[in-house]
Amino acid sequence: MVKSEEMIGNKNIESNESILITKGISKEFNGIYVLKDINFEIKKGEVHALVGENGAGKSTFIKILSGVHLPTKGVMYLNGSPVSFKNVKQSEEAGIRTVQQEINIVPFYNVYQSIFIGSEEVKKKLGIRYTDDRKMREMAKSVIEELGIDINVDAPSYSLSVLEKKIVEISRALVHQAKILIFDEPTTSLGAKERDKLFEIIKVLKGKGISILFVSHDIDEVMRISDRITVFRDGNKIGTFEKSNVTVKEIVSSMIGHELKNNNNQKRSPISNEIMIDVRNLSTEKLKNISFKIYKGEILGIAGVVGAGKTELAKAIYGLDKMKSGKIIFRNSEYIPSPQMAIDSGIAFVPEERRTQGLILNFPVSENITLAYLKRFSRLGIINNESEINITRHYINRLSIKTRDPRQPVNLLSGGNQQKVLIARWLSGNFYLGIFDEPTKGIDIKAKEDIYNLFVELAKQGRSILFLSSYLPELINLCDRILVMRNGEIVGEFRSEEENVASKIMSAMLGGGTLR
Amino acid sequence: MNREFLARYATALSTLIIFVIFSIVINNFFNATNIFMLLRQMSMLTIIALGFILVMGSGGFDMSIGNSVGLISMIFALIFNHTGNIWFALVISMACGPIVGFINGVLTAYVGLPDFIATFSVGSMVYGLKMMLTKGNPIFFPNNMPAFFNFIGQGYVGPVPFPVIVMLIVLLLFIFITRKTVFGRRLYAIGGNIVASIYAGIDVKKYKVLAYLVLGFCVSIAAILLTSRLGSAQPLAGEDYLLDVIAVCFLSTTMFGNGEPTALGVFVGAFLISMLNNGLTMLNVQYYFQYITKGLVVVVAISLSILLGQKGKEKI
Repeated sequence: MVKSEEMIGNKNIESNESILITKGISKEFNGIYVLKDINFEIKKGEVHALVGENGAGKSTFIKILSGVHLPTKGVMYLNGSPVSFKNVKQSEEAGIRTVQQEINIVPFYNVYQSIFIGSEEVKKKLGIRYTDDRKMREMAKSVIEELGIDINVDAPSYSLSVLEKKIVEISRALVHQAKILIFDEPTTSLGAKERDKLFEIIKVLKGKGISILFVSHDIDEVMRISDRITVFRDGNKIGTFEKSNVTVKEIVSSMIGHELKNNNNQKRSPISNEIMIDVRNLSTEKLKNISFKIYKGEILGIAGVVGAGKTELAKAIYGLDKMKSGKIIFRNSEYIPSPQMAIDSGIAFVPEERRTQGLILNFPVSENITLAYLKRFSRLGIINNESEINITRHYINRLSIKTRDPRQPVNLLSGGNQQKVLIARWLSGNFYLGIFDEPTKGIDIKAKEDIYNLFVELAKQGRSILFLSSYLPELINLCDRILVMRNGEIVGEFRSEEENVASKIMSAMLGGGTLR
Repeated sequence: MNREFLARYATALSTLIIFVIFSIVINNFFNATNIFMLLRQMSMLTIIALGFILVMGSGGFDMSIGNSVGLISMIFALIFNHTGNIWFALVISMACGPIVGFINGVLTAYVGLPDFIATFSVGSMVYGLKMMLTKGNPIFFPNNMPAFFNFIGQGYVGPVPFPVIVMLIVLLLFIFITRKTVFGRRLYAIGGNIVASIYAGIDVKKYKVLAYLVLGFCVSIAAILLTSRLGSAQPLAGEDYLLDVIAVCFLSTTMFGNGEPTALGVFVGAFLISMLNNGLTMLNVQYYFQYITKGLVVVVAISLSILLGQKGKEKI
């Protein structure tokens, strides 16, 4: 970190009230730019919201601010002096702290110990360093009181609510005199009351002159608490708006860009009216009363922000989450969900996290492909290696999987090729309904195109596809119909050729009742 | 020779090198009698370790194997001495290994105990049980012991000790199970990524229990071989196998595979450990120094394969 106290107050940067300025920040991973030339500014004591769709570059940007990533290009100025953070510690020492979406806490530490974890106050007695519990307790108490909150500092961490854990995290920032607090999707797991409380706290922080960078999916709450709003799209900064002279509609349209159109329907024959799967009043721990049908040869999209319940829906149909009530009819007979049952009846599931939920990373490509339908490549429990290698060769050619040979360990392949291996696993079993959860996440454009084309081809063969994605353009481009989920419920259904479909879906996703 | 090759074959090469050195410096090391004795010594260890790779390959662990050997031996002796029926004694005692394995499997897979804690506790109970049976005393056999039983552990087919033949049969069987069967493939898939295995429709719990069952059966075979060779049932027989089996299985992960335990690797690893015991004894090295050497060899072999392996992998 390059920073000198003397330079603070040296007014060589345009605005003397701005605390943090970035100039031309860019970040590339493996030759792909995920952030391009970001010029950004946070003022002292302002609440600045950062919005954008998935993959817009928000998380990469806050990771650069907090020292997780170094930018490929560009400079940051803190209080007018250029800084560069090689790790999180350096950024924290400079006064930038992040309140994470998921907070990790040592369960048996109490509140004040959690606040001071890793930076305990110490006193020396007889040359031995002790933790100064009394001092830490007092400091914790006063910081929490300043926030206008009542938490027992001796309570164990495991007993805290989600909001209280966030308060611990905020207090940790305060005892270290943080100047900038970054909130990453802070309200995703909060109820309405807790959310109001958090906004109260943010006002208190603002009053203390602390700058807040607030990353959120929820346009309503962004409009409620922020002073200025910056929109990112595809790694670019689209603009920064004063809250007072911008409408929700303007923000949504700058998030989406141009109106999106469906252009795949012409390529296919009309969908048949034969029903593939009929889900009736499905409820689980996370889902409320979900009903929908997918027709033979149809690509049905599910849109929704992170946490809306898309993945939970996929897991419920595939039998990984327990069904509390409801009924599923698959190919005209009742289907009781379980992974074995799904595989036997012809339902395929490509999960969101291919490395942790999909692939056996130390297994070769071939063994990953045959994993789910291994019985088809074996007799009396003995694997037929020749047919295993043949089918692998077949899919390497058909999906143009880049691998040295069928026996290469799958963890040596790139993300897009790994995803194709996972899809090949299911193709080898001739499924009727394929559930694909964010299948294009983190893969290159060529592989994305290949996967889109494959979906269209599969639909033409009369198979059905349930396509879950939080990236609207691909849904609109590919799907026949799109269902929108929010908070575990289906809140809207759209045909992708409708006028202004992207705005309609986006507002249903975000719950911005103000649109329409 | 590139890194990847070294990472995969370093242990096997070192075994060969030590073998050559021992053959040169030790009189009577490289002759048929000694080699067959060495192979006989390692046969019980190899058989248990082969079963162990299934449990380890599926992501589990078993701390109870050493104690089970003694229990099986005691139960065999008690039943035989009371009934005089060797077949009955064999069937009942050999069922004990799989029964203990089944308990381990159910506790870890279905109840959800951490495998270390479940098998450690079961091992402790097994220890208590076998001590209770005879108050810790060994049991000797009466004179009417059928000759074929003594042959199991002490006999020869031509120049080859019978336990070595049993070991080679079990070895071939396990090479087959781990490389060619749906059962072996799925176990390794579970060890490689349990979540992905569930998502691929594998009945993970069932397979974990099956792995412990097979290991239990291997323990039974080894226990009977040992009882026959000793000609008596010793409650503490086989206690030492636990650490040696773990060492051998970890050694096997450095050979012939992508970091998973392999059957052929177990054979080489068990040969290495037994050869060190055998050779160092012939060199009159004190027993405590043998333990140090054994520990050192395991640490060095596995460290080397990790260090070489990490750097050898690159994305295409």
